[in-house]
Amino acid sequence: MTDARIWRETGFVENDPWVIETDEVTGSEEQKALLPLADLIEKAESSNDVGLGVLIKPGDDVRKLEPYLYRLDIVAVEFPAFNDGRAFSHASLLRERLAFRNEIRAVGDVLIDQIPLMLRCGIDSFAVKNATALKRLEQGRLPGISVHYQPTARPAEKSGGYSWRRRATA
Amino acid sequence: MYRYDEFDHAFVQGRVEQFRDQVARRLSGELAEDAFKPLRLMNGVYLQLHAYMLRVAIPYGTLNSRQMRMLAHIARKYDRGYGHFTTRQNIQYNWPKLSDTPDILAELATVEMHALQTSGNCIRNVTADHFAGAAADEVADPRPYAEILRQWSSVHPEFSFLPRKFKIAVTGAERDRAAIQVHDIGLHLKKNEAGELGFAVYVGGGQGRTPLIAKKIRDFLPEEDLLSYTTAIMRVYNLHGRRDNKYKARIKILVHETGIEELSRQVEEEFAHLQGSELKLPEADVAAIAAYFAPPALPERSEGWAQLASWKKQDEAFARWVSQNVQPHKHPDYGMVTISLKPIGGIPGDASHEQMDALADLAEEFAHDEIRISHEQNVIFPHVALADLEPLYRALAAQNLATANAGLITDIIACPGLDYCALANARSIPVAQEISTRFGSPERQAEIGELKIKISGCINACGHHHVGHIGLLGVEKKGAELYQITLGGSADEHTSVGEIIGRGFEPSKVTDAIETIVNTYLGLRASREETFLEAYRRAGPQPFKEALYGDAKAEAA
Repeated sequence: MTDARIWRETGFVENDPWVIETDEVTGSEEQKALLPLADLIEKAESSNDVGLGVLIKPGDDVRKLEPYLYRLDIVAVEFPAFNDGRAFSHASLLRERLAFRNEIRAVGDVLIDQIPLMLRCGIDSFAVKNATALKRLEQGRLPGISVHYQPTARPAEKSGGYSWRRRATA
Repeated sequence: MYRYDEFDHAFVQGRVEQFRDQVARRLSGELAEDAFKPLRLMNGVYLQLHAYMLRVAIPYGTLNSRQMRMLAHIARKYDRGYGHFTTRQNIQYNWPKLSDTPDILAELATVEMHALQTSGNCIRNVTADHFAGAAADEVADPRPYAEILRQWSSVHPEFSFLPRKFKIAVTGAERDRAAIQVHDIGLHLKKNEAGELGFAVYVGGGQGRTPLIAKKIRDFLPEEDLLSYTTAIMRVYNLHGRRDNKYKARIKILVHETGIEELSRQVEEEFAHLQGSELKLPEADVAAIAAYFAPPALPERSEGWAQLASWKKQDEAFARWVSQNVQPHKHPDYGMVTISLKPIGGIPGDASHEQMDALADLAEEFAHDEIRISHEQNVIFPHVALADLEPLYRALAAQNLATANAGLITDIIACPGLDYCALANARSIPVAQEISTRFGSPERQAEIGELKIKISGCINACGHHHVGHIGLLGVEKKGAELYQITLGGSADEHTSVGEIIGRGFEPSKVTDAIETIVNTYLGLRASREETFLEAYRRAGPQPFKEALYGDAKAEAA
C-alpha cells in the first residue's frame, strides 16, 4: 500500500497507521500491521491485545473472525482484481451477520466505478491507487445512483413503496 | 404489464447518466478498455467482430406497442434498419456506434426500457414463459416474480462481480416453456397442499461447453422467501464459485464439484440467517406487483368460433397457420398467436423496423397491446380473439410475418455465429437458412411434425444446440468449419442433453445429413403421432448412426 491514499466519505486520511507487510514492505515503529487471518487468530489467542487489524483474502472465511471482532479496529478486505467480487460478500457478512462496527477497508484494485457498490456493502474506507479514482474522489464526484432496489449493509431509508426499495441517505 | 413509477424512472435515468460518464471517460482514454469492459457489458454493450453490439433487455419477454415502436425507431436511427431477437427474450442491435449508446439508452428510458445487465458477470435479464398470463395450464402468472427479481437484482452491489453470468428463469405451469432446467436458477411456481403459492427451486443448470441439467434444491419455497433464498444461493456462489477458469465458473460447475447435498446445506445455512430479514416479501407488495399483470378485460367473442371454421374452409394456408401458430387460450374465445420470425430461408429472429412498426400497430388493433418475445426467437400475441385471427393473418402476411411453422423443422433457433460474433468458430445463420429452404414446403413440414433444430456457432451454445431435438454445433477443425450433430435434446419439463451422433459434417453436407436423419425418423416412427423426440427416445441412436455413416464405425468428431 505504499502509493495508496486512504479515502473515507469525510475525505482523505493522512497518517493512516495500517500497513500490509510483505517480503519487501515492513512496517515502521508507528505503523500497525494488517495481519493475515491465520496470524491474527494466533495473535489473538496468545495475547490480550486489542486494536488489531486483519487482512481478509478472497478465499478466507470471514466468519472465523467472530470471536475476535471486539479486538479489531479494522478489517481490510482484498480485491485482487476489480472483477473479483468476493470481498463484497465478505463486507456484507461482517456488517449484517457479525455486526462488526469498526472500519472495513477495501484494498487492492479499487476503482471509482466500484466504490459506490463497496460503500453499499458496508465498506467505509478505501486504499486508492488508481489515478482516475483519486482525481474523482478529490473532486467529490462519485458515480453512484441514489435509488436502490435492495436493502444492503449500509443503512438507507425505505423508499419507493416496496419493501425491497431504498433511497440513499445523504 | 409492469409500468415504471417515479422510483424506476429515477433509477434508470441515474443509470443512463452514470453510463454516459463512463463512455465519455472511455472515449477520452481516461478509462482503460479492460476496466470499461465490465461496465459496458452491464449496460448491454458488447464489442463484436465488426462493431459494438447493444443488447436491450425485454424483461421476461413482455412489451407493449409503444416499446416495440421504440425498438423500430432505434433500428432505423442508430442501426441498419433491423434488430435481432434473442433466445433470452431480448433484442440485439449489431451496428450501433459506442458514442451513440448513451443516447440510445436515454431514448429507451422514455418508454421504460433499458439494457441493464443484459451481459456481464451479473444477474441477467430474468426470463419467463412467453405464454404467461394467457396459458390454460398455468397455476399463476410467473411474471410478477420475474419483475420482483428484476428489480431486486438491478445493480445489486454484492452480486455485480460474480464469477460468471447468472441466469434465472420462472415458469408458472407444469409444461415448462421457459427451459428452467438449463438455467442457473430455475423457479417453478406452484401451489402446495394448502393452496399457497411457492416455488420448486432448481439450481445449476446450463448449456455452454458443459451442459448440465439443474438439480432440484427445494421442492417448495414459500413465496415470501423468494428474495432471501435467492440471496443465499447468490452469496454461496459469489464466495465459492470458481474464479480460476472462466469455463468452470458457472454455478453448474460449483454444484457438480461440491455435490448438491453439500451445496444445499451451505445454501440452507445461509438462508437460515436471511429468512425473515428485510428481504422477506410482504404479501401486499407481491399483490401490488401482481396487479400490474392482471390480464386485459377479454370480452365474450363467441362469434369467432363459426367465423374461424368458415375461414379455415375457404383458405388452406390460413387453416395451416391457425393449426400451427395458434394455441388455446384460457378464455375459449381467444387464442395465443405465435408470429414466426423464421421465414423460409430467412435469418432466425431478425425483424426489420417496418415489421416492428407493423407488429406494434397490429398488437394495438388485435391483441390488447400485449406483445411477447419467446426464447425460441418468435413474437407472441398472447390475447387474440378467434374472431380477429383472419384479419390479423392477412396483415401479418403482408409483412412476411405469417409463416406457419411454429414448432416445426424450419422454426430454427440459431445464434448469430461467425457472421457477427467474436467468439464463434463457425457460421450459424447460413446453415439455418439452407435447412429452412430445403424443408420449406408446408406439406413436408406438416408431414415431419414437431421438430426443434437448434444451431450454435461455437461451444458456448447460445443457439441451445444441446437441447435441440436435432442440435448442430459449429466447430473449427484445421481451419475449416465442421458441424457436429447431437440428437435427442430437449428443454421442457423432461429436459435432456442431446447425444453426439458421430463425426461432424462439412458445411456443404450438413443439410443432407439433416435430411437423412429426418428420413430415418419418418421410416421408423410408430405412427404419425409419434414425434421425432419420442421416436428417438424409443429407438435410440443406432438407426440414425447407421443411416448417416453406414457400416463404418461412427467416431465422434
